Amino acid sequence: MQRTSHRYLQVDVFADRPGGGNPLGVVLDAADWATSRMQAFAAWTNLSETIFFLPPTTPDASYRIRIFTPRQELPFAGHPSVGAAWVALQAGLVTASDRLVQECAAGLLPVRIDDSGPQPTIQLRTPQAHLVETPPLPALDAVLSSLPIAGLRPGLWNNGPSWWLVELEDAAAVRHLVPDLAAIAALTTATGAVGLSVFGRTPPGSDHHLAVRAFCPADNIPEDPVTGSVNACIAAALHAAGALPGDSGCYLASQGRELGRDGRVRVQVDDESQVWIGGQVQLVIDGQVTW
Amino acid sequence: MTSRRYVQLDVFADRPGAGNPLAVVLDAAGLDDAAMQAIARWTRLPETTFVFAPTQPGASYAVRMFSPRREVPFAGHPSVGTAHVVLDAGLATPIDGLLVQEGVAGLLPLRVEDDAAGRTIAVRTPRAHVVKTGDTHSDEVLRAAIANLPAGRLPPALMDGGRRWWLVEVRDEAALRAAAPDWTAISALATATDSMGVCAYARAQGQGYDLAVRAFVGAPAAFEDAASGAANATLAAWLTSRDALPGRNGQYIVSQGREVGYDARLQLRVDEAGDVWSGGHVRTIVTGRIDW
Repeated sequence: MQRTSHRYLQVDVFADRPGGGNPLGVVLDAADWATSRMQAFAAWTNLSETIFFLPPTTPDASYRIRIFTPRQELPFAGHPSVGAAWVALQAGLVTASDRLVQECAAGLLPVRIDDSGPQPTIQLRTPQAHLVETPPLPALDAVLSSLPIAGLRPGLWNNGPSWWLVELEDAAAVRHLVPDLAAIAALTTATGAVGLSVFGRTPPGSDHHLAVRAFCPADNIPEDPVTGSVNACIAAALHAAGALPGDSGCYLASQGRELGRDGRVRVQVDDESQVWIGGQVQLVIDGQVTW
Repeated sequence: MTSRRYVQLDVFADRPGAGNPLAVVLDAAGLDDAAMQAIARWTRLPETTFVFAPTQPGASYAVRMFSPRREVPFAGHPSVGTAHVVLDAGLATPIDGLLVQEGVAGLLPLRVEDDAAGRTIAVRTPRAHVVKTGDTHSDEVLRAAIANLPAGRLPPALMDGGRRWWLVEVRDEAALRAAAPDWTAISALATATDSMGVCAYARAQGQGYDLAVRAFVGAPAAFEDAASGAANATLAAWLTSRDALPGRNGQYIVSQGREVGYDARLQLRVDEAGDVWSGGHVRTIVTGRIDW
């Protein structure tokens, strides 16, 4: 294996400032990297995901990435895709446009870049979410009995992964919640869910509309800092109930503050009921990798 | 936001990915404690260090070390890696082969040498002492924690070198590499004896290293460490006290981390004064800048 130097970035996704969001490792020009080399480097960075830019294999794609966790390759994931689009723009692989197409193992995916503000905002169309019917579950009752539930009926939603969604009476209840992780692990394990998310509305005058938290204790992640798929599921559930916050299908969610982060997820439900999630990306580390 | 020099390293590594990862932020003046802790949490590496100008006479540079959770007063692999970056950046020059690191735990010397495979850096580790030797007949907690480690020649020993480790010799390298840790029992032992956990070792021959080591850290972390400079230093002190040092002239090489996807090489040396030096090669993986 030849050891060569490649441009390497570490960016912060869903972040309005460095450290607020979810980190992502990015290797540009990885055309000569074998799969085993990508996996070994992704294990070494210890980041939740590391992505590798490759030439697209179809003229329909604007750019192509492969996504690796420290353990395995993923066909698709939200925060790496948002970070990828931002890096593609910054590195000059694409120009800002509302019709970009990302190629990844799961296929071709539409991405929009809104370049009108001081910092570009990335929007990514997410897979359609649906409600999963469940029988009466004692494990669900055990979780809900201690929660100040309000609004939507708690339910299991799927947009690739499955998430239990529970609306609480307000954002303060979400922020102050001390989760019963054992009860949540029992519920998610029994129902094949990745985790459970609670969310609540903020009072008027806040700089965001929803406070969101996501717990995945069965996967050894007590709480996830910023979660694209959860926010997309919540938007689909609220849209189905005619209860979207914000204006014209757009709202801002805040996640991760309880973990010392401050993730900002911009959500939009379009005229065709498609959910787009996105946000801003901060460049934190810019350098070269030799591996 | 300020832009600072940033380096990501692989410490105790003879090839990329074999050692223990470390991030180093140079020009750290202006970062407060909260910012350093936030950066260390964000890099997600075992440790992130921050380099400052020295404040004490005789010091080559000053450093502070953070894990993702807290500040660490001293650790071996961050000391070795930070010295490597300081040398590459030209921030300090060894005097008689020595650099002096100013840390939260005080001044510590590092020895810089060149060998056939490049530069090696070793840090002098805090003196370690034997707390007690263990008796698996009378000590049920110890017996449970090491039940699946076939016993070697020396008895199990609890050593204190700043942090405490149980050092457990295993019959041979194959048995050590095949062993499956009992995390519940190891955590119970760690809690009961205020120690990190179990550092198991076996003698090795003919493969370029003298000792194979595996370090099992008890709850709440409960993981196998890739390359433990401090645990290996207490092990060298224990072997010295039993006149059982492998290698030659007080020097030997350790292989650690293969069972968790790494394969670090640590160079241990016990000098004439009885001090233990823990070191090895360092590989630079990422060089660039960090904006925070």
